[in-house]
This record gives sequence, structure tokens and C-alpha cells, in this order.
Amino acid sequence: MRNLATQAARLMAICGGLVLTLLIVLICISVVGRSLNGLLHGWIGSVMPGLSAWALDLGVGPINGDFELVEAGVAFAIFAFLPLCQISAGHASVDIFTAKLPMRINRVLQLGIDVIFAIVLISIAYQLYNGMLSKQSYGDTTFLLQFPIWWAYAASLSGAVLTAVIAFYVAGIRAVECLRGEDILSQEPGLDL
Amino acid sequence: MSNLEIGLASFPALLILIFIRVPIGLAMFLVGLVGLYFTTGSFNLPLARLKSETFSTFSSYSLSIVPMFLLMGHFATLGGMSSALFKAAESFLGHRKGGIAMAAIGACAGFGSICGSSLATAATMGRVALPQLRKYGYSGGFSTATLAAGGTLGILIPPSIVLVIYAILTEQNIAKLFLAAFIPGILAALGYVIAISIYVRLHPEAAGVKAAVPYADRFAALFKVWPVLLVFALVVGGIYQGWFTPTEGAAVGAAGTGFIAWMNKGLTRSTLIESFLVTAKSSAMIFFIILGAGFYNGFLALTQVPQEISNFVVSQGFSPWVVLSIILLFYLVFGCLMDSLSMILLTIPIFFPVIVELDFGMSQEQIAIWFGILVLIVVEVGLITPPVGMNLFVINAMDRSTPLAQTYKVVMYFVASDIARVILLVAFPAITLFWLRA
Amino acid sequence: ADYSFNLQSFLPAQATIPSKIIDVWADNVEQASGGRIEINRYAAMQLGGKPPELIDQVLDGVIDMTWNVVGYTPGRYPSTEVFELPFLVNDAGPASAAFWKMLEADIAEREFGNLKVLGGWVHGPGVIHANKAVTVPSDFNGMKIRGASRQVNAMLKELGATPVGMPVPAVPEALSKGVIDGTTIPWEVTKALKVPELVEHHTEFTGPMLYTVTFVLVMNKDKFAALPADLQAVIEDNSGLEFSIFAGTTQQAYDTPGRDVAVNRGNSIVTLDVAQSAVWAEAAQPVYGAWIEEMKGRGLDGQAMIDQATALMNAN
Ligand code: NA
Ligand code: NA
Repeated sequence: MRNLATQAARLMAICGGLVLTLLIVLICISVVGRSLNGLLHGWIGSVMPGLSAWALDLGVGPINGDFELVEAGVAFAIFAFLPLCQISAGHASVDIFTAKLPMRINRVLQLGIDVIFAIVLISIAYQLYNGMLSKQSYGDTTFLLQFPIWWAYAASLSGAVLTAVIAFYVAGIRAVECLRGEDILSQEPGLDL
Repeated sequence: MSNLEIGLASFPALLILIFIRVPIGLAMFLVGLVGLYFTTGSFNLPLARLKSETFSTFSSYSLSIVPMFLLMGHFATLGGMSSALFKAAESFLGHRKGGIAMAAIGACAGFGSICGSSLATAATMGRVALPQLRKYGYSGGFSTATLAAGGTLGILIPPSIVLVIYAILTEQNIAKLFLAAFIPGILAALGYVIAISIYVRLHPEAAGVKAAVPYADRFAALFKVWPVLLVFALVVGGIYQGWFTPTEGAAVGAAGTGFIAWMNKGLTRSTLIESFLVTAKSSAMIFFIILGAGFYNGFLALTQVPQEISNFVVSQGFSPWVVLSIILLFYLVFGCLMDSLSMILLTIPIFFPVIVELDFGMSQEQIAIWFGILVLIVVEVGLITPPVGMNLFVINAMDRSTPLAQTYKVVMYFVASDIARVILLVAFPAITLFWLRA
Repeated sequence: ADYSFNLQSFLPAQATIPSKIIDVWADNVEQASGGRIEINRYAAMQLGGKPPELIDQVLDGVIDMTWNVVGYTPGRYPSTEVFELPFLVNDAGPASAAFWKMLEADIAEREFGNLKVLGGWVHGPGVIHANKAVTVPSDFNGMKIRGASRQVNAMLKELGATPVGMPVPAVPEALSKGVIDGTTIPWEVTKALKVPELVEHHTEFTGPMLYTVTFVLVMNKDKFAALPADLQAVIEDNSGLEFSIFAGTTQQAYDTPGRDVAVNRGNSIVTLDVAQSAVWAEAAQPVYGAWIEEMKGRGLDGQAMIDQATALMNAN
């Protein structure tokens, strides 16, 4: 079970990483296209008008709607990154004041925090779903590519739902930790920023 | 309770939650949510906000710079840039008294010019430089403290994730902030080198000696640093020259360092996945804090607390310099306990409206940029001040033989140099604003 | 006050619309209610979220009121786009009156059914602000120009420019960095965005406007319904046709001080004459066909809306 959750979170994060990489490539192509477009209209156009016209007809220029694609893509990526952060206790916290408390109290505290965290993340996923439904019913699109915004919501929802499931699972583990009095998952905050 | 009272009551509530180890993003989120419940009398409003606010926070074009800069830092390491930098700096400085520590600072500064994060710089350079420092007889505390301090150069020298967040929060120009951070960043590196030379004079036993390297080898080592220069020039230069937006600059930088890593055979399937996972964890952490802060700050605005505080401070006629000093001191104290990004997100919406209304004899934009750099420095000091200093923890975890207490002792020399720099920059705003004269 | 409402919007408090239009309206409502209604104004998205979310924030009850650029939710309010078609509108006053009448007649019911629409208006003539002189459409070739809405971007594309979609607050930085070569906005907002300091060339048209953009002032429907009848009347008396005309004419009037900034800086302002403007109108013509075709797909008669808008504007 624990292995399954970790594997799912890792897989999701890798998907997010791949989308992030695609966005990076897309932006680079757009930047190059924009510069070339400027040159074709500029000195290339005056030196080699034929070549220039041919390249411009091919559509050499910035990628239409790159801004919108980055916004949709990065939302998916961040939602896809959240499950890993959740299962590996990667959220920043201040533990100096609780470090001196007895182990038992710390476990109860951690249980409380993770139960609340689970409730919050389940609400976030549920409200994202509702948001998707309203975007769908209003027919909102993006400016230039005019793809429906709810597609981007739907993609993000996959990460949000996995995060909610994992948060629920982590809260369950904490309850077991409390009862058994032993650590199962790490409580160390992630240090690899 | 009036809205104003609810807003004011949220401060202690937030502190208590944070101090009982509630993750900072979650704490801000909860206080914002409960606060909205008290001000509006129902949970409908906070829940309705969630329908679009998580998506719109995460789908930010400007914030997409954060995961891209994180990925760029990883690729730079995979491409061998961190070790190339350290070898070059070591070949020039290593034979001097405390020279390897100085070289580590130099390499951190170099790496900081292509990496936007402090912890990543500390961790990366720690892996490269720590074994060398220990091999040549540098004491444990001296070695770890040097690298922890050097790590802060990752943020102080542009590009810098914290500055990006500050720019977005205060609607300032990212390129101008990067430019303004440049001289203070160089001063930081120089200040650390001075701190090292003072420390080795007082504690000569804490550093060993290393034979000098022939000049031919030095320049050979220096030559290997060219990809770093290229990427820095392309990213920071390109953003400033207007070849691309900051986000485009981050993408070009990530692609460039990724390509160099691939050329140097550092980028394999497994290291790429590793980069994704580490980037994922850090990005998720940062964005969740941003989400919580957005929720909390929206609630605070509704209670009118930031305006009231600003009105109060301005109407009292305090000296602007006293107000500024108090704010900076506040960051220094809280920096002992909290991480830099959380502090910025939590406090800038309250402090910024106060600061720009005060009369420092500068335009609002100049104040905003100068204040941004000062805040950047004081929150970064927090990364190396005991007891909670993330950089200290990261480096110490790499050298289990050194007790944290020893690191604490030596790092105070670097903290002293930071404080001296802050005083210098407060006294002479022109240093920060030098490049920005129209 | 017995009833307290939160009104959030995206421009800074000192910009024309918040300070010269919305504040006036809100003060009038507060005063006419004898202090029973209070309208708290939050500028620059202080309460959170991004500009395109404002309408949803009202719908979901996160805030009670907003004014917003209708085009910020592309595709949701297709009928309002009739006023955004190139070279259709002559003057913001009559156009705002016509827009309100069409909202009142059927658009509000059909497309804003879940909102209480209190006003609808358009801004003054859209002007081209660019880093080089633009006098004929072919000057646009290879230029990255930012447009405010779906129809404006469609027009820019038709005219030969590369349209770039970005939020207004990003315009100054994008201009100063050369990420875009120009932007289309009315004179009125150029002052706040420091556009005349960033580009030196401005192109105005004679006759119909290159384009305009629609705005609405809306309120949460349930919050309005929950008011006693006399206070509902107070709000309605201060809203509607008269307010919409006031908003349109006021916004257009503030074009002059905005233009003065560019004049005083010695920028080059080209005012195309009737014949030159006609060349642009001709080039932009295909936008009409595409829009009418798209409306057909949505079961709307685009040509009838164009005719109705034109007739109403001429009647005023
Ligand atoms: Na940096
Ligand atoms: Na600290």
C-alpha cells in the first residue's frame, strides 16, 4: 500500500516534470521563432526577399498562444507535483518548539495536522471539480487558441485528486502510528529546495 | 468582534499554529479560511474562493519561472558546472590561508549566477567542496559554516526565486530587481571572503595549507567555466536586454543547462527522473505556501488591517529610517525561526504599503526596489542564523562528524558580515540603485 | 449600514474607472440609501484572485459586485462582442446607451441570467501605440501587438500583426523589454501604464473607432434579491441607462488628459484621415464574416445584432 502510494506520487511527479520540459521546449521554440520572424522582416527580408517571404509563409514566428499553453501546463505540473510533496512530508514547517516534546505528543500533533491537511486537500480537489463544472457550463475559452478552459481544469484535477487520496492515506497512517507508538512515515521536512 | 479585531487576532493565531509545526502554507490557509468564516459568518465564501483560486494560483505565467529555475539549477549540477567552478576557484585561491574556503565562496557566487535557489546552491556546492575542505584540514565547523553562508549567494546573486516572488507581490519589474541585486550580491561574496580571512587569523589551526597550482593549470581550469558564463549571460543578460520575458529566460536557461548536461553525459534517464522528483517536491512546497499566503492575504485585506497599519504608521510621523530599521530587525529575529519565502509572503503585503508611503527622498519605484533588496538580504541571513537555519541543516546533514553547535559558532562571523552589509546598503541606497539610474 | 457590500476590481484605485466612475456611482448609492447601504471598494485585486475570475467571484458570492472587461472571460458573453467589431462604433456615449439597451432587452437575460447587471458601457477610441510608425496595415507585418479581447486579437491578426495575449498589467514590462512591439488601448489608460514613456508612435483614426471594448457593472443576484424593495429601487435608480451613458462618456473624456501626456513628451501622433482609415476598415472586414459565422454556430443572428446596434447608436 505504502509502496503503491509512493509509486503513484512519483509517477505523477514525473508526468508533471515531462509537461514542464515540454513547456520549456515550447517557450524556446517560440523565442527562436519570434527572433527569426523579426529578422525575416528585417535584414534577411531586405537581403533575400524570396527566402524571407517563403519562410514567413511557412509561418516562422512565435507559437500562437504560447502564454496560454504555459499557464495551462504549469497548473497541471504543480498539481502533479503535490502528491509527492504530501507523501514525503515535503511541506515547510517550524519544528524547533515541538522537538523537545515527548514522542507521544508529537505523534498526536502530527495526526491532528495531517487530518486537517487531508480535509483541506479533499476540499481543494472537490472545489476544483466544481470550478471545472462551472467553466464547462459557461463555455469559457482562452484568448487566442480558444480551447475550453475546463480542459486545463480537468487535467489539473488528476493531480488534485491523487493529492487528496494520498493526504487521506497519510492521515490514516498517522493514526496507526499513534496507536502503535512507532514511526512508519518520515516526519522530517524536505530539505532539498 | 469587529473585522479589524479579527484581522489583528489572526497574527497570534497564525504564530501559534506555525510554532506547533503546522506546515506554514497550511497554517496561512487555515487562518485565512477561519478568518473569512468569522468576518462573513459562513464557510460559503472561502469554499467558493477555492473553485477557481487554486487553479489560478498554480496557472500563473510569472510563477512558472519557479520550477524552471529549480530545474535549471539541477541540470547545471548534472552538467558538472558546480565542480568546474570550484576547481577553477580553488586553483587560484586554494594555496592561500583559508583559500579553499574562499574558493568555495567564489564557486557559490558563480553557481548562484545560474541557480535561483539558496538551498540548492548550498547543497550542490556542499557536495563538491565539503570533501576538499575536510581533506585539507579545514575544521568541521569552519567548513560547514562557509558552505551554508555561500549557499545564500544562490539567492543574493540573480537570478533569484525570492526576488521573483517579491516582484510579483509588489508589482515591480523583475529585470530591474535582478539588476539591483547584482552589486549587493558581489558585496556579499566579498564580505564572506573578508569574514573568512578574519576567522583564519583568529583561528589559524582551523585551516590547513595546500600547494599552489601552476598558472597553466589555473587557466585550464578557468576555461572549463565557460558554460556558466554563457548561461548567465544568456539568461540574466537576455532578460535585461529584453530578448525575452523572465519566464522565457528561465526556460532558455533550463534548456541550455539541460543541453550542456546532456553533452557532458550527465543527463541520463535516471538523473533526469531524479531532477524531476526534486524539482517537484520543492515546487509543490513553494506553490502551496503561495496558495496559503494568497488566501490569508485576501482575508487580511477584507479586514482592512494592512491599510490601518499603514495609516497608523504614516500618521504617527515616525522617522522613516526608524520604521525601516524596525522592519529589518523583525526579519532578522523571525529569520531565526522561519524560512525566507514564507516570511516574504506573510509580511510583504503588510510592510510594503507602509514603506512606500514613507519619505526617503526617493521615488516609490526606487524605494520598492531598494527595500526589496534589503528584505532579500535579511531574510537570507535567516537561512544561516541559529537555531533554525535551513542552509545550516542541509550542510550539516552532509557532515555528520561535525556537531551543529560548532557550525553555529563559526557562522556568526558570516552573519556579522551580512549585518555590516545591510547597514551599508541602508545608509547608501545609491549602491543598490546604481545600475538603475535612467 | 444595514447592508454592506464588497466591490472588487483589478485596476489601481486611482485609475479612471475606479475613481471617476465606480466611486461616483457607489457614493451616490450610499447617499441615496441614507447610509443604509455601504459599498466597500477593493482595487487591484486586493481580496485575491486574477482579473478573469472577477465575474465568477460575484457569481459564487466571494464578492458582491464588480466591474470588469467582458472580454476577460472569452466565449462566455458572445453577444456583447458586437460592439467590439472593428470600425463599428463612433462615440462611447451613444454606443454605451445602445449597449445598455441591448443588455436590457435580451442579452442580460440570455447571457448574464445569473447576475444582476447594473450598467454596461464601452471605452473611447482604441489607439495603436507602437515602437515604430504605423500608417497602413502592412506596417503591422512582423509586429507583435497586444490586444484586449478575442475580437480585438482576431482583428489584429486580420490586419497582419502577430496578436499577443497578455493581461494589461504586463503591458508596460513587455513593451519596455521589446517582448511586444506595440499595444492597442485607449488613451485613457496609457497614463497609468506609462505607455507614452515606453513607445513614441501612436496611431489614431478618423471616423469610426478601430475598436472598443465592453465593460459591465454587475452584482450578485441573490444579494440584490435579498434587499428590501426601497433599497433595490435606490440601486436601480442610480444604475441602468443613465449610469451607462455617464460611464461611457466619462471614460472617453479622460482620453484627452491621457493623450496630452504623449503630446507633451513630443511623441509622434499620426491621425489617419478618412481615406487612410477606410483602408484599415476594408482590411479588417473579414472579422465580420467570421464573427457572424461563429454566432450562427451558437444559434445567434450576428447580422441582426450588428443592425440593431447600429440603429440604436444612430438613434442617439
Ligand atoms: Na542566483
Ligand atoms: Na535562521
